Amino acid sequence: MLEGRDLSIAFGGVRAVAGVNLRVERGELAGLIGPNGAGKTTLLRLLTGVLAPDSGSVRFEGRDVTQMPIHRRAQLGFVLTHQIVRPFRDMTVLDNVMVAAATQVTLRPWRALVSVDTRPARLRAQALLARLGIADAADKPARSVPLGYLKRMQVARALALEPRLLMLDEPLAGLNYTEAARFADLIAQLNAEGITIVLVEHNLGEVTRIARRLLVLHNGAVLAEGVPRDVMARHDVRDAYLGADQDAVAHA
Amino acid sequence: MYYVELLLVGLVWGCTYAMMALGLTLVYGLLRILHVAQATVFTLGAYVGLLVANHTGSLAAAFVAAGLAAGALGPLIYRLVYQPILDKPPFVALVASIGVLIAMEDGFRLVFGPYGLSFAKNTWFTTSLRFGGLSLNLVQIWIAIAAVVLLLLFALFATRTRAGVAWRATVSDPAIAESFGVSVSGVRHLSFFIASVLAGVAGVLVGLLNNLVEPGMGSVISYKGLAIIVLGGLGNVPGTLLASVLLGVVESFGTVYLDKVMDRDAIAFMFLIVVLMIRPQGLLGKAH
Amino acid sequence: MDYYLSVATFAALNVILALGLNLISGFCGQVSLGHAAFYGLGAYGAALCSVAGLPMGLSVAVGMMVAGAFGILTGFAALRVREDFLAIVTMGVGFLFLGAVRKQAWLGAEMGIAKIPSPLDKWGYAMLAIGGAVALLLLSLHVRRSWMGRAFGAVAQDEDAARSIGIDVSGYKIAAFFIGTAAAGLAGGIYAHMTQLIVPDAFNFVQSVTILAMVVVGGIGSTLGVVAGAVLLTLMPEMFRFINDYKLLVYGGLLLAVMRFSPEGLAGLVHRWTGRRLA
Ligand SMILES: Nc1ncnc2c1ncn2[C@@H]1O[C@H](COP(=O)(O)OP(=O)(O)OP(=O)(O)O)[C@@H](O)[C@H]1O
Ligand SMILES: [Mg+2]
Repeated sequence: MLEGRDLSIAFGGVRAVAGVNLRVERGELAGLIGPNGAGKTTLLRLLTGVLAPDSGSVRFEGRDVTQMPIHRRAQLGFVLTHQIVRPFRDMTVLDNVMVAAATQVTLRPWRALVSVDTRPARLRAQALLARLGIADAADKPARSVPLGYLKRMQVARALALEPRLLMLDEPLAGLNYTEAARFADLIAQLNAEGITIVLVEHNLGEVTRIARRLLVLHNGAVLAEGVPRDVMARHDVRDAYLGADQDAVAHA
Repeated sequence: MYYVELLLVGLVWGCTYAMMALGLTLVYGLLRILHVAQATVFTLGAYVGLLVANHTGSLAAAFVAAGLAAGALGPLIYRLVYQPILDKPPFVALVASIGVLIAMEDGFRLVFGPYGLSFAKNTWFTTSLRFGGLSLNLVQIWIAIAAVVLLLLFALFATRTRAGVAWRATVSDPAIAESFGVSVSGVRHLSFFIASVLAGVAGVLVGLLNNLVEPGMGSVISYKGLAIIVLGGLGNVPGTLLASVLLGVVESFGTVYLDKVMDRDAIAFMFLIVVLMIRPQGLLGKAH
Repeated sequence: MDYYLSVATFAALNVILALGLNLISGFCGQVSLGHAAFYGLGAYGAALCSVAGLPMGLSVAVGMMVAGAFGILTGFAALRVREDFLAIVTMGVGFLFLGAVRKQAWLGAEMGIAKIPSPLDKWGYAMLAIGGAVALLLLSLHVRRSWMGRAFGAVAQDEDAARSIGIDVSGYKIAAFFIGTAAAGLAGGIYAHMTQLIVPDAFNFVQSVTILAMVVVGGIGSTLGVVAGAVLLTLMPEMFRFINDYKLLVYGGLLLAVMRFSPEGLAGLVHRWTGRRLA
């Protein structure tokens, strides 16, 4: 469904992502893990077009989308949620989801100008808020609701786009233990309903529980790939997380 | 020879712009404010300088008085206008700043009259020096000297003194600087003071150069100052200096070659727009 | 009577200008410090056509299209630069317009264009301007309610987030610039025919700031607030004749005071006192 080939980008000398190849198959739930600064967020941004790669290409459902603007990819059903939540702060939580639910109407500015019917978008947005358990905050301005709500609102906004491929960047960060477990269940359920998901997470317990395949990124490159249990048992993966290789270099 | 002369005239203008734009860049780097009202500080410096020069006959006294008056006004504007609205969206400070500029410009007109004043004795203006086929008057030479000396002093301040180091730390991260005991408020006042002294001195120099001090003399130069700091890459000091000099030279040649098409101000902003369309982050600004 | 009519006409023209800018800056969040340039483009476009013998209606329409076309170009600039950069670029657009017109012999250079045909009487212009203002008021209220208004809101608040939910940010910015600058062109066309004489200085930076002042005094983003701001700032110097000599002093002071004490303008005050948000 998605294929990244030889993706690289450098920020002033730092090679944040260096020659990554990856494939995501239709219907899977893949976990993308790696220590802080491994390049996970940057890789997602390259795949979704927030950043343009220095080299490499991205194909989505057989189409080369490397040059395609973000909003077009989103319209195709290829959607990213940001690691740092980006709500429209002066809109209510409901309005935040409604704008996303209306992408068919807002596709062309001139069409949007003559459309005033908000009912269909409102109903869909309300249903999504209910599903994510944040319906009680619907009419509060986004700037005044707590982070746990915003995280879920962001996922509701992404779901409103009817994604076929959803990339979630640390959706569980900042949630407490039970919230995280419940949210992870929801992610698994969305996947079961047919949405392909790539999940970036530091909460290894939850990723290994719900993901069927893991990709480990380290220093901008793919270090390991496979079934969670096997991957987590590998020494190089453990070392990457513990920062042992840096120490080894220092001792050498 | 003609080209060399154009180049020199452009460089002299570049020096004037640099004195204005350095202050704007300091303020922007620290507070993200487009400080249009710096024009007022510039004009006040010019008026004070002119009055003192005409009373005492001493240009040295005129510069000192202008620097002090300007140096007092800038921090005052910060205290009364910007400080209370720092947490508001950026256009708020910009509009307030434009308000200060418009009101003060009218204030100068009411106090000093609309037609402008001239120096009683302006020997720098009337004395020219010749080098080969080139002729520059003393004001132009002093502008170049003043700009170079003041900017060097600033560079020494920023790199060699405790206050300078504290200032740079505050620019890059106010919270961390504060936790190391730097007074952020002090640094802000100091920046406005430095910016204003430079602007005040530049005001007197431009007054001497045109032998005229008028209420609106600061506005266009401060609009161009804003163009320059944007060109340089907002908040970037070397970029600002480079842009100042470039703009001076582009204007100088442009007024000769594009005279039929557009005026001097339009040339400056045309240059700005063209550069930004090619490099949206400015000449030395960072991408991403 | 004539005097009141001309004040009413100017108030209506200012409403058109301010609502146009509000669409760009208030609704879509794109700061513009050069709105007077589009007022000028509309005026010059219409004046040239009229002097060449076209009927007034057609001339005004051409003026609008000229302004709107340059508005689209400026919109493209807004795709490259943002926020403070955009503020300075639009200021530059204003200076570029002025500096170019001043040097063009075929535009009358500093002397401007005189003897523009004027087919209507004072009542006619007043009705035309007020009609235009009402049309723009209704359009603004409609845009706010429509999906275009909601998409503008998303673009204004967070461009990147708007993109990631599939909104064509570039398209909306260009649409905002087109509508807002074409409105300024309309005001310019009416102005040119009414005064029969246009000079470059009528469209300078101070004029841009004056339009901006109407928007912020009224309350950026609020249609009714902006209308009130435009009317108030037009009437103020007329009502207080004694301030005429200190007009700019009062004007600047007012801008400063509003930003300092109620940055959300009149609309913000209404909200604070009654708890209701103005449309
Ligand atoms: N815009 C940028 N400019 C400069 N450097 C950047 C930028 N974005 C990321 N980097 C650098 O690239 C590297 C990878 O960062 P990235 O955010 O992708 O890591 P990550 O795996 O998402 O980490 P985390 O788990 O902390 O979110 C880091 O060294 C980071 O400092
Ligand atoms: Mg990350």
